[in-house]
Amino acid sequence: MAADANNTESQAYLPDFCAATTVLVIVLVAELVAIVLTLAAYSVPGTFLTELAKMSMYIQWLALLSAALLCRLRPWLESFGGTRAFVIAFLLLEMLCLMMAEVTWQATSKYGLSVIIDDSHSGFVMRTFAVSSIVVALTMRYLYVASEWRRSIVLEAQSRVSALQALIRPHFLFNSMNTIASLTRTDPLRAEEAVEDLADLFRANLGGKKNRTTLKQELEVAAIYQRIEKLRLGDRLSVRWDIDELPMRALIPSLTIQPLLENAIYHGIELLPDGGEVLVRGERDGDNLRITISNPVVADRQSDKDGNQMAMSNIRQRFDLAYGGRASVAVDSSQDRFQVVLTFPYEENES
Amino acid sequence: MKVLIVDDEAPARDRLRQLIEDDALHSVVGEASNGQQAIEVAAETRPDVVLLDIRMPGLSGIEVAHHLNSLAEPPAVIFATAYDEYAIEAFETNAIGYVLKPVRRERLEKAMQQAARVSNRSIQHVAEQSGLPTRRNHICARVKDQLILIDLAGISRFHADQKYVRVHHGDGEHLIDESLKALESEFQELFVRIHRSALVSIAHIEAVRKTSDGLSIVVLQDAPDDTDGLIISRRHLADVKRRLKGA
Repeated sequence: MAADANNTESQAYLPDFCAATTVLVIVLVAELVAIVLTLAAYSVPGTFLTELAKMSMYIQWLALLSAALLCRLRPWLESFGGTRAFVIAFLLLEMLCLMMAEVTWQATSKYGLSVIIDDSHSGFVMRTFAVSSIVVALTMRYLYVASEWRRSIVLEAQSRVSALQALIRPHFLFNSMNTIASLTRTDPLRAEEAVEDLADLFRANLGGKKNRTTLKQELEVAAIYQRIEKLRLGDRLSVRWDIDELPMRALIPSLTIQPLLENAIYHGIELLPDGGEVLVRGERDGDNLRITISNPVVADRQSDKDGNQMAMSNIRQRFDLAYGGRASVAVDSSQDRFQVVLTFPYEENES
Repeated sequence: MKVLIVDDEAPARDRLRQLIEDDALHSVVGEASNGQQAIEVAAETRPDVVLLDIRMPGLSGIEVAHHLNSLAEPPAVIFATAYDEYAIEAFETNAIGYVLKPVRRERLEKAMQQAARVSNRSIQHVAEQSGLPTRRNHICARVKDQLILIDLAGISRFHADQKYVRVHHGDGEHLIDESLKALESEFQELFVRIHRSALVSIAHIEAVRKTSDGLSIVVLQDAPDDTDGLIISRRHLADVKRRLKGA
């Protein structure tokens, strides 16, 4: 539960305006604004402190009311998500400031204190509006950037964890070890190769500090993986690589094709008595690349679907992180075939 | 002991064979690469112990173990699995023999020493606790010493016949040594009880009719025209109607 709460807090867009630290920061910022404004208008010697007191009272009032409003409305604002939450918060605060400017004007004139405000009615309201929009807009922009930065850190950490999870599918490791144990006696040469392949595969996985890799490397990792599985499954496994159209220098989030191939084998080929063929097809469509991985499945097995979804959401997350909205991961599952289509922009390393 | 090895992966079978043949006390009498084959070979070679992979295409190891119990002298079963957190827990609590891949010699020897027949009930427990499908997809009938697998989809009805149950299916009829009650609870989604002694596949029902003497009967698809319908007892009539509507 605690972890959950942490997670939602770090996922939030707006800070918690009810928290004492946030309120303190708001008070300080408001006071700074008051000082700047008073200094800028300072012309009559000896009146600085009285002017600052008037200014502070007005601005602190607005700032604290704004904080109270956002404190109350935060859960509702969060539900809009991202940019919209900030835009709506901005509009609300502007409305609040306009209203307060009006109330202030009315109150001061009603009680004959209009000397405090050395301006016309509309002038006062317009000034409040202009200053508050600039300050609120700057603050919102700052909060937005900060929240995006925080979220991207969290997303990155999550995707790193999911990459680790994708890597260590215990079934694969143990089955491969079993295969190697068997081959050491019957076919030592092949056992040697298998150990080398397994080592390469793990190195490729563990060394993945880079978020993206070239298609050439990614496809190599997938081919190594295929070799290991082939030892175990024999003739039941065949993979057709139809990828001539793909530019090998293109970048792709690392560990995407191999896990999808693994899925195709684990959830598809392994459960078919006579095995089948996994088809990997690559196409180039203008500025986009499309990779389709499809495999036959047993019609009537539900038990394995969950694992599949986990791997898919994992890859989706990493595509989101790498491309924002410019890439897609589509799943198409029919009675006897399962298919994943990755679409992403064609990009190369600059160097 | 005579051992039968069942695994869909050739290297995994080789590995078990190597380990078993290292010990002069044991001999490998057969290998099978899928569940169907395992049942046939087991009936032929009559092993003392069957080493069974759990995750196999077609019949799972769990289902095979269930069917092996239909043999006249059921063999002891040792499951082999690469990684099944929940299944392992279930094996432990039900005292069922298992080895983990990669298979360790000492572990296999220990499991062989302790090998014992597992009951259908404890297999059922394992399946339930590990989230594996508990419902079988086949029914196993023994004819002399052959085991015949009957595809569940082809079965139109089960009929209690003294202490046995008669299975009516696309390719004829067979007697099995199971209780109608257990079958009813295992296949409750697919079959409906129409009578104290009859369980009928919902998918095979053509119609429910009333005869001239006021009895309700079930008419099955593909039934020869001259056969009478199956009588629905008054006690089960409401339930049958409800199930047919739901279907």
